[in-house]
Amino acid sequence: MNAALRLEMRRSRTLLLWLAVIALGYGAMLAVFYPVFRDNSKLVDQYLSLFPKEFLAAFGMEGSLSDPGVFFSSYIGGMLWPIVAAIAGISMATRPTASDLERGFLELPLSTPLSRVRYLASAVAGQVTGMAILAAATVAGVLLAGWLVGAPFDAGGFALAGIVAWAFGCAVAAVTTLVAVVTLSRGLAAGATAGALLAMYLMNALARIQPDLAWLGDLSAFRYYQATPIIDHGRFPWGDFSIFGLVAVAAWTASLWAFRRRDLSA
Amino acid sequence: MTNVIEAEGLTKWYGRRRGIVEVDFVVAEGEVFGFLGPNGAGKTTTIRLLLGFLRPSAGRAAIFGLDCWTAAPAAHTRVAYVGSEPGYLGELTAGEQLDYLGTLRGLPRGAWRPLAERLDLDPNVHIRKLSRGNRQKIGVVQAFMGHETLLLMDEPSSGLDPLMQREFLALVAEARAAGRTVFLSSHNLPEVERACDRVGIIREGRLVDISTVGELLGSHWRSVNLALETPPAAGTFELPNVEIVAVTGREVHLMVRGDINPLLDRIASLSVRDVAITTPDIEDIFLRFYHAPETGTPEAGAR
Repeated sequence: MNAALRLEMRRSRTLLLWLAVIALGYGAMLAVFYPVFRDNSKLVDQYLSLFPKEFLAAFGMEGSLSDPGVFFSSYIGGMLWPIVAAIAGISMATRPTASDLERGFLELPLSTPLSRVRYLASAVAGQVTGMAILAAATVAGVLLAGWLVGAPFDAGGFALAGIVAWAFGCAVAAVTTLVAVVTLSRGLAAGATAGALLAMYLMNALARIQPDLAWLGDLSAFRYYQATPIIDHGRFPWGDFSIFGLVAVAAWTASLWAFRRRDLSA
Repeated sequence: MTNVIEAEGLTKWYGRRRGIVEVDFVVAEGEVFGFLGPNGAGKTTTIRLLLGFLRPSAGRAAIFGLDCWTAAPAAHTRVAYVGSEPGYLGELTAGEQLDYLGTLRGLPRGAWRPLAERLDLDPNVHIRKLSRGNRQKIGVVQAFMGHETLLLMDEPSSGLDPLMQREFLALVAEARAAGRTVFLSSHNLPEVERACDRVGIIREGRLVDISTVGELLGSHWRSVNLALETPPAAGTFELPNVEIVAVTGREVHLMVRGDINPLLDRIASLSVRDVAITTPDIEDIFLRFYHAPETGTPEAGAR
């Protein structure tokens, strides 16, 4: 591991540790209560039937909460993970360029023989690693707590869902990296990414509620992150995974290209 | 002697805002080159162009013959740089920060230790707890801890106490003795006067003068006041470069420019009660450049 990547991971460790603890703890806490949903599925379904179908669809509750896939999607995949991925992605993606330029750190490594491309590539490697740690923690909390309370989930299905979650997080980080390189403004990059994620979440919800606006869902990243069929049927969504992968690789490549060529001045 | 730094017509515009305009200079191997100018004159822009952080709007800059923009990493293998306010990471100790930068420069861990001890820098304290002066010490250690042949320094001694400034000047002198080249941007005029072989003065983005420190001081008038035992004979001070301002009995006021030795020889032949020679320091000269009109005077013309 090179010095730049080591430092990148060291600077991220507190953030990653706390986000991992939150993801692990939240997932575990929900999994502990899963047997209640499983053992009282009729009552839960009866309760949920009081809500409009569109409302439930907007939040990913399409099916019974006693279903492991729906349970994970409702409480973690569609709620906790986007927040964790956004916080980690924005923080790790804006720091090495816009933020370090603003604080005067960037000129230190870049005045050494380390090239701009290698510097940013190390930061990207840090993002990939950080997202993998968080995705693993998110899935591990549910699996571990489920096993402890006698509700063993299918580890294979959850692992596949974790991989897609990781790809989703990488896409968020990559696009944020690109915006940070182009604007060299941490505030602007963070605001733009957070705003875009929020808008896409609403677009996805709107598309589910209103069939006439279904096309809006296709423009949302959340449309391509559906954990329920992965967990329930063990089918890996190669298409959705490829979309996230392509976005991530394209945005990171464009970031490296732009970072190599642009002026670095705060 | 080969040129370590070459700038030809180097120009940088930030949109419509002026950075530097048509700056030309060379720095020879083993030379200590001072770069003087107030805030906003273009010193930091010049250094950022030399480091390849900025792409020139026109002209070019090269270090060891390598283009500063297109071949920056290769050029940096022979460059050590310290900025005026480096944003060191507060969560690291000084030693960890120096080890990180040293590793990127291919230095062994702990290469900074001898210098840290010399400058009385505690390497185990987190940087966020250090005073500005101590943070600046990290910069000085960072600059001198390697064996790079070019030191690029942007106001490196600002924030250092007088003792540390003296130590800094000693380090510059040692670097020069070792054949290293130093580019020292500063607005600390006495420091430049003491450390540098040549000085470039930048004003509003344009390089208005490059001289040796000796030339810069020698090309300006000195005021000489003499108190003699007896009134001087007529024509005593009719010498090249000497202007007689006033002779009042035994009191003589002269102005001398350039070589002062003929006048000193003449004074030595007289019986003198007192003599006072006022030499303008580099600050006076610097201010003259800044008070002179931008063009039209010999002192303001770029060389």
